[in-house]
Amino acid sequence: MFPDLRRDVFVPVAAGLVLFGLFVGAGLFYQGALGGQERLVTFALIDAVLVLGLQVYVGNTGILSFGHMGFGAVAGYAFALMAIDPVEKAKRVSDAPFGLTDVHLGPWVGLAVAVAVVLVVGAVVGIGLARSGAESGAVSATVITLALLFVTHEVARNWPDLTGGDRAGLSFRIGGALDSRTPLYLALLGSILVALLYARSRGGRMAQAAREDDLAARAMGVNPLVQQMVALLVSVSVVSVGAGLRVYEKGSILPSDFFFNLTLVTLVMLIVGGRRSVTGALLGVAVITAGRELARRMGQDGFELFGLGLDDAPLDWIFRENLKTVFLGVAMLGFMVWRPDGLLDDWDLDRWLHARLQRWRGRDAAVPAVPGVVSPDDDDVLVVEAATVAFGGFRALDGAGLEVGRHEVLGVIGPNGAGKTTLLNVVTGLVGADSGRVALGGTDLSGAPSHRIARSGLVRTFQNLRLFGSLTVRENVEVSALVASSSRRHRPPPDVDGLLVAAGLWDVRFRRARELDYGTSRRLELARAAAMSPSFLLLDEPTSGMSDAESEAMVDQVRRMAGLVGAGVVVIDHDLNFITGICDRVTCLDAGQVIATGTPDEVQAHPAVRAAYLGTSGGG
Amino acid sequence: MVELLQNLVDGLGRGSIYALLALGVAVVFGVMHLLNFAHGEMITVSGYATFWALDAGWSWYLTVPLILVVAVLTSLVIERVAFSRVRGADQFTLLLTSFGVHFVVFAIFLLYVSASVKTFPRPGWVTNTYAVGSLRIEVFDTVVIAVTLLTLVGTSMVLQRTTFGLSLRAAAADFDTARLMGIRSDSVIRGAFALSGLLAGIASVFWLMRAGSTVPSAGIDPMLKGVLAALIGGLGSLRGAVLGGFALGMAEVVLRSRLPDSVASLTEGVVFLLIALLFIFRPQGLVSVDHAERV
Repeated sequence: MFPDLRRDVFVPVAAGLVLFGLFVGAGLFYQGALGGQERLVTFALIDAVLVLGLQVYVGNTGILSFGHMGFGAVAGYAFALMAIDPVEKAKRVSDAPFGLTDVHLGPWVGLAVAVAVVLVVGAVVGIGLARSGAESGAVSATVITLALLFVTHEVARNWPDLTGGDRAGLSFRIGGALDSRTPLYLALLGSILVALLYARSRGGRMAQAAREDDLAARAMGVNPLVQQMVALLVSVSVVSVGAGLRVYEKGSILPSDFFFNLTLVTLVMLIVGGRRSVTGALLGVAVITAGRELARRMGQDGFELFGLGLDDAPLDWIFRENLKTVFLGVAMLGFMVWRPDGLLDDWDLDRWLHARLQRWRGRDAAVPAVPGVVSPDDDDVLVVEAATVAFGGFRALDGAGLEVGRHEVLGVIGPNGAGKTTLLNVVTGLVGADSGRVALGGTDLSGAPSHRIARSGLVRTFQNLRLFGSLTVRENVEVSALVASSSRRHRPPPDVDGLLVAAGLWDVRFRRARELDYGTSRRLELARAAAMSPSFLLLDEPTSGMSDAESEAMVDQVRRMAGLVGAGVVVIDHDLNFITGICDRVTCLDAGQVIATGTPDEVQAHPAVRAAYLGTSGGG
Repeated sequence: MVELLQNLVDGLGRGSIYALLALGVAVVFGVMHLLNFAHGEMITVSGYATFWALDAGWSWYLTVPLILVVAVLTSLVIERVAFSRVRGADQFTLLLTSFGVHFVVFAIFLLYVSASVKTFPRPGWVTNTYAVGSLRIEVFDTVVIAVTLLTLVGTSMVLQRTTFGLSLRAAAADFDTARLMGIRSDSVIRGAFALSGLLAGIASVFWLMRAGSTVPSAGIDPMLKGVLAALIGGLGSLRGAVLGGFALGMAEVVLRSRLPDSVASLTEGVVFLLIALLFIFRPQGLVSVDHAERV
């Protein structure tokens, strides 16, 4: 589950304890030394649990959710119905369905039941999100979560037999039911650890890759839908614990408790701190709680609050009741416009600690050795037969095919629009063929989803670079290595550091992928594909936009990478020097059909090829 | 049969307003890929304008043009202050920016007016009805449907016949190519927001006449209806948005009159559920628009 125990478990747990200490310490300092309100700190602890739950989903998948407080409402009511004393319950819902009036479980069993109920609801909603084609930033997914928020609210308001309705609600006893803060501390520590450990786990890393680029993640064998489902379930479990505790602390629940207001407050907290960071989520809770309280009191008292004796009459138009709502709105809008990544972006304490530790121990000084060449483990042949694809009336592929062995480098050339990229898209499952067959060894892969094709050993790069932009160079390569370690077990495990050295990326391994220059980005795409230990590397114009010298270097680069993992190569390119320099055989496409196949020299001399390139009929 | 016809008429009336709102949402989505969660703010702002105007003794005839002007101005100001700064940002930022706009407008009215409901007199004829056979038709619905049809025809003329309409449709089809063809992105986007504001203004005249009141959060309900209708129709398609508006209005009316009494109060919930199901089985909406990505 965790690629590197020290980096992904021990350091995050230590960092989590530190974060917990800082957060609770700040709260106790405020309420002790500054004489602040206890209640404010108590609710900040609960908000932190809710925001951390939200962070697990929103931060790792990149999908904006308005629905998490809808899950909170479900959990809150489930908890209240389980845990409230039947005598109290009978006053509000004397005739609850399913005989719920008579149920009486302790608060902790009640909380467990609430989590279980929410997990079921979450699974159903998660299937819906997956069906709607959820991907990072998909609008329809966000609207489904919004619909969830409204559905739960409507049901809570209009099913008084179950929920006590809009006015009465359900209640334990007046003044709150939680006598000690211990459960809150435990829940907070638990949520911090869950959020940190999830983000560093295999599943978390794959979800982050899909967040950065859905298509590229699929092409590296990640199934985003599964990872988003896992993230959702982890996330709503944390949220339900927070929601249950919130109900317990307040001592009652009303439909409006888990609706727009709480949704907005928690979202503002998350984005102000930095949605991709667990540290950021906690910082956001602290900053927004403090800011709201300050705004509320300034709205009441103006500058008198600070005892400054300043005349605040000129600012009367600001110091009004409800100033705290303005503060929230301005914070949300301001951060979206000027700093959409929040205060911390994706900086996290555990990653910083780990980097510090590595430097201190001198672990990052030695450059690892380049791994040895691996020979192919089988003689599987990649076969494409009679592939046909039509976009409307245009036949992009018209019966094209190819055959390539594990020891070969096959070039695919052809004029613009000949169907080269479409052929690669068909092989990797990004475009469904109307007819034809793709097979690797004995396995038929026609029509299989991209991520399964990648796991079977066909891994590609993209013509227009598709890196996981905000992940580091090393993390980009690591994602593929993670997938390979489970789906390509028969191959020697990829050596991430060795590949980085071999690709000339060692010095930039901690840089973000989006900061790299063009040539380096190309090398990273190649290294990321190689880390899948593929049977075949499929490269879409690896030299496009490169100078002659750079593309010459790319010949060695491709050979070396393919050799390190023992993969056959299919490469599309325009650069004939590159193609003749690297290919054993070349196939030329024109108008979706294969017009020639042979050694580079044979194909170049072929009359049909010359005609296709020069536009003359009959061999010029 | 009579009941069905009655539903049809009621549904058309309700759907007309939704169609106007949805069309406004779709126009903006076309040029900016922004699903505007602040689309209801035109109704909030013009609601308070209406309250003050009527309070100051204006007649409804004078107030209607005021509402239209206020709505267009609001839309343009919101574009200038917020959306022009996040052009080309990712969906996450766009969605939350529009949500932030809603929130700030809400907070401003909360701060400077009050959280309580402000009521104003509705025009006398709003509640009048007349009979056709055994159907009871509201005068108001008739006016709404007629004005909406005129507006839709007018909008379609503008889109089909004018240079602005052509640039807007081109930008909606492919913004980058449209820019390369020499269409000025600034003026197209501003034009789209003005048009969207005008459509929202017309919708808000009806909305306010019927409601007879406003609160700081008045924008949420119309915003949701407009956004959902645009999504039902298929984002990016103007025709789909209008269709989605009528579909949503019809669905609400039919469900409210046909659901058994015990769950009738859950109509809104059921509608949301139906919409969620629609997205699950047809995520591209009723009218699909191709957005194939080149790889």
